[in-house]
Amino acid sequence: MAFNVLVVDDSAVMRQMVVRTLRLSGIPLGTVLEAGNGEEGLFVLQEQWVDLLLLDINMPVMNGEEMLRRLRANPETENLPVIVVSTEGSEARLQVLQEFGASIVRKPFAPETLRDTILRVTGVTDVEYYGAVPVASDDGDF
Amino acid sequence: MSSTTAQSLSRATTATFEELALLFPETELSAEQAAAPLDVAVSVDFRGPLTGRLVVRASQSILPAIAANMLGAEESKQLPLQRDALGEIGNVICGHVLPLIAGADKIFNLAAPIVHEGGSLPQREEDEPSARVMVGVEEGRAEAVLYLFKSTGAGAETAHAA
Repeated sequence: MAFNVLVVDDSAVMRQMVVRTLRLSGIPLGTVLEAGNGEEGLFVLQEQWVDLLLLDINMPVMNGEEMLRRLRANPETENLPVIVVSTEGSEARLQVLQEFGASIVRKPFAPETLRDTILRVTGVTDVEYYGAVPVASDDGDF
Repeated sequence: MSSTTAQSLSRATTATFEELALLFPETELSAEQAAAPLDVAVSVDFRGPLTGRLVVRASQSILPAIAANMLGAEESKQLPLQRDALGEIGNVICGHVLPLIAGADKIFNLAAPIVHEGGSLPQREEDEPSARVMVGVEEGRAEAVLYLFKSTGAGAETAHAA
């Protein structure tokens, strides 16, 4: 199984960094899609099959919290695994997101952290299939 | 503003450079680092229980290393991406420092980072920084300055990152 992933973040640099970390994490990836805000993200989800959503919170047009609310209100996406990737430090806001079934990864994050969180939220437990899911090397940057 | 603010800014700045840019800021600047110009700046405005701005100024010379560690070797050669990477440094510092000074139960909204050419500090005339941190990074240096717009009567606190 390869994961089709949607990365929603208003920062092109952060999207690039998240995608790079995804590739370094050793998780088998299918299509990696990107969107610049929640509204664009919802549009992508109408058009493409996605296994996992990586979502920022603070974004213009539609923030991550609102996108998550709409996802959960839609029967087609109510069970989509969501990882909120954010600098958010407010426990109150994080609690709201967790009540909507999102897992939290705080920036900055290591490839191992992202990999472990992805395996947990997607329910993938077939260790024999994935093996140790080694973290890829990239000139020692990570 | 108490010294806690400067300490919090110091913690957030150090942790961000270490964990996001994989660089190790030095608290004692070498002569070379101290002489390096601060010629690029980014700012992140925030609002919530506190309203203000976090400014990060840095030596242009350290931007390729920041971008290379965050984005990869090829991308690090592009000047706009180098500056955007510094913007994310500012964003993460801001996101980390606000819960430290206001409490983890408070909710803030952060604006997108803005890059300022020439390293000039974007500020209003009446603003006094609430805290300031200077660190040496590679062959240059970086400075984080926190403005709290509603605070009055407090001068800048200077801290070395610990």
